[in-house]
Amino acid sequence: MAISAATKAATDALAVNRAPTSVNAQEVHRWLQSFTWDFDKNRTKYPTKYKMANDTKEQFKLIAKEYARMESVKDERQFGSLQDVLTRVDAANKVHPKWNETMKVISNFLEVGEYNAIAATGMLWDSASAPEQKNGYLAQTLDEIRHTNQCGYVNYYFTKHGQDAAGHNDARRTRTIGPLWKGMKRVFSDGFISGDAVECSINLQLVGEACFTNPLIVAVTEWAAANGDEITPTVFLSIETDELRHMANGYQTIVSIANDEAASKYLNTDLNNAFWTQQKYFTPVLGMMFEYGSHFKVEPWVKTWNRWVYEDWGGIWIGRLGKYGVESPRSLRDAKVDAYWAHHDLFLLAYALWPTGFFRLTLPTAEEADWFEENYPGWHEHYGKIYEEWRARGCEDPNSGFIPLMWFIENNHPIYIDRVSQVPFCPSLCKGASTLRVHEYNGKKNTFSDDWGERMWLAEPERYECQNMFEQYAGRELSEVIAELQGVRSDGKTLIAQPHTNKDGKMWTLDDIKALDCVFSDPVDAL
Amino acid sequence: MAIQIEVGQRGLTDPKLQQIISDAVPDEPLEKNRKMNYFVKPRGRRLSEYEILCCYTQPTPDWIPGGLDWGDWTQKFHGGRPSWGNETTEMHSTDWHKHRDPDKRWHAIYVKDKAEEWRYTQRFLKQYSGDGQIRTMDPVWRDEVLNDYLGAFCFSEYGLFNSHSSASRDCLGDTLRMSIAMIGLDKVDNAQMIQLERTFLAKLVPGFPESTDEPKKEWTTGSIYKGARETVEDIWQATYDWNEILWSGHMVYDAIFGQFVRREFFLRLSSYYSDNLTPFFINQMQLYHSQTKGITSDMFFYCLADDPEFGDYNRRLMRMWTDKWLPRTVNALKDFMGIFTKIPEIDHVTTQDAIEKALTRVFDDWAEDYAAKIDYKADTAAMVKTVLSGLK
Repeated sequence: MAISAATKAATDALAVNRAPTSVNAQEVHRWLQSFTWDFDKNRTKYPTKYKMANDTKEQFKLIAKEYARMESVKDERQFGSLQDVLTRVDAANKVHPKWNETMKVISNFLEVGEYNAIAATGMLWDSASAPEQKNGYLAQTLDEIRHTNQCGYVNYYFTKHGQDAAGHNDARRTRTIGPLWKGMKRVFSDGFISGDAVECSINLQLVGEACFTNPLIVAVTEWAAANGDEITPTVFLSIETDELRHMANGYQTIVSIANDEAASKYLNTDLNNAFWTQQKYFTPVLGMMFEYGSHFKVEPWVKTWNRWVYEDWGGIWIGRLGKYGVESPRSLRDAKVDAYWAHHDLFLLAYALWPTGFFRLTLPTAEEADWFEENYPGWHEHYGKIYEEWRARGCEDPNSGFIPLMWFIENNHPIYIDRVSQVPFCPSLCKGASTLRVHEYNGKKNTFSDDWGERMWLAEPERYECQNMFEQYAGRELSEVIAELQGVRSDGKTLIAQPHTNKDGKMWTLDDIKALDCVFSDPVDAL
Repeated sequence: MAIQIEVGQRGLTDPKLQQIISDAVPDEPLEKNRKMNYFVKPRGRRLSEYEILCCYTQPTPDWIPGGLDWGDWTQKFHGGRPSWGNETTEMHSTDWHKHRDPDKRWHAIYVKDKAEEWRYTQRFLKQYSGDGQIRTMDPVWRDEVLNDYLGAFCFSEYGLFNSHSSASRDCLGDTLRMSIAMIGLDKVDNAQMIQLERTFLAKLVPGFPESTDEPKKEWTTGSIYKGARETVEDIWQATYDWNEILWSGHMVYDAIFGQFVRREFFLRLSSYYSDNLTPFFINQMQLYHSQTKGITSDMFFYCLADDPEFGDYNRRLMRMWTDKWLPRTVNALKDFMGIFTKIPEIDHVTTQDAIEKALTRVFDDWAEDYAAKIDYKADTAAMVKTVLSGLK
């Protein structure tokens, strides 16, 4: 077979070229945008009302192998620290017990968010048409697997080395019992994967990651370190190194739709809904975890919230997107009000329902009560007195025959669950902004606690039909529910959940709960 | 001791803080069971770290078989479609959490392997170029076959890569989702390695076109990859059932067409044209293929074909899907036979007798490793004959 003159010339030139050379990742990446081709059936399986541009670029410019190298280096540092020095210094047993309990929740719930983000970014990888944009989402898909495994590793580490493995060792099974779970699924699970693909990107990347990642993943490391936990910072700060890429993906999502007409019509509404969805859960839950789940305090949650959410995200980050028509959410002002009292309101309810948890909760000590009053004037008059009454009635002692849920019933303070956010609220007791609204639909009563969620439900009730724990458990006795959902320790009788972390305190058992004869009812029946 | 800490105070290293913590920590651990995920049934004798870190991370309710949660989804798609639902696949399972990667790769293990491959690739390329090995490569093989046809195969791998996006979104189990994302990444890695080789050749060979223009033209308008392109397009974008995507892509198309192109064409022939560069990359692709085969065999054969309740039904469905995708794959290979007119002929290497043996190896492997597992009657001789009819 004859060769062309050009081929012959090229072949002849090889004789003099023996310089060692290789190919770097960027030299491959620059061709990525040309890897796709046009064909009739080429469309996403997840329709969006927005049109993503075909020429959208990504910022990180990774190829598969370079991605692996970068992550592997970070893994070596992280797992090296965990398995070597932190184990040798017995770090897991030098964590304050209250914080050990808090990490049962934070690590597992963050794991759920990371896990669902695998699917969410899979959807975005499908939805984007530009290969570079697909590549950015793909790297995030892999990152989310990493983060899922890392969060699991925190629970795994505390299980293996820590002071109370129960709850760490079976969080994936026992997390479903209590009142915090369904709300967590709304923000961290379904909110990321169910809906218009761009709307999901806004939930995940523009709000979840760009806004709440800092308080969730960065601030938590400060609270952890204060309370003796160096395991969590080792893992979470390694997670955070990937989050910048995810925020950039969210930014690029907006860039890719910026010139689309639909963006001017819908984008700010979708952003507002996403922000309210995320903040409705994270604002109270994170505040509660930090302030009530720690012994040593870093700073009042309201200050952290104001710095990360209101100023950094609502002001600077969203401000950068202003040129694409993005505005700070209209609900930001209402969220700022929530940031003051909502987490205190939630702890009242979480503590009242403590037997349904997979962790131990602790009432504020006198020292902590002073801290709360100093930072949230008016706290003692409203919350502190209630806790004093509960403590006086022996709420921590199984011999007392008293759990605070009984106090709510005795004093006619019904606890409802917001259908959209799945966050519990008690309108007659809360100091925050929640108020009760009820709508009947398809023969079912739905309760809501705020304007923004109510409006989302009124527009699309078919998206928010999930039953809540009171509907699920109505008519069933509390110890029976706990036993069925595996909320007991390996002795088969002691609850994983406890209302104290006092090392000398007596632990509650299923029999102690059974003796209360506490039967669930759905408070909406009385409306 | 105030509970409000000062900036920089850490509970582990500050003696006063640590004393308070130590006083609060129980004297003995409160729980004796120190095995995380103790309730998970291990695949092997004991629960692996992979199973501990991956199993039941997915929060599906119990009406999706294997799920541990209860109730409905807290937010659904517009119109009420569920976040995840049994209706996203025609396959049935008694436990969507049953799958395991035989190599037990969670993320850290997966990226460690690939990072090692990347470092070695870069060292290899420096050695190859410094050694001047490119000088002996057949110029027609180099400038026409590797440039156009290996370059065009990049698009086959890239299309298959994209078919994993919806599967990684829609599948119903956690170990499934992680495996699908990883084998998807391997496919784009293959595509990138092909372009990497072309970029490398462009550095070594003056005038070698680094651009993807010519390969893309061959892929989109040429006759050699016509059947392959149409099949890949349908797997990627015309198939919605995530199990059918994986079945058609990995258990039929790539197991036959991909194996022939990679192993029996580029890998087998490259040495005859003094090309010892391409085998370096193809062998990495073959490693990924074998790891993927382990994963998909576990998904489809161990979990679905042998499902205690739905095994027979699932096997029937797999046979039906094979009936749908096998003729297209055979047709894709038939089109690919046109490539033998583009290379310098070597007797008993590129001639019909050798091609027939190569095809027989691929089809026999497929019949044994895939078809037999679902009792699919495959007439491999007839398929070989059909493919050979494409020889010019």
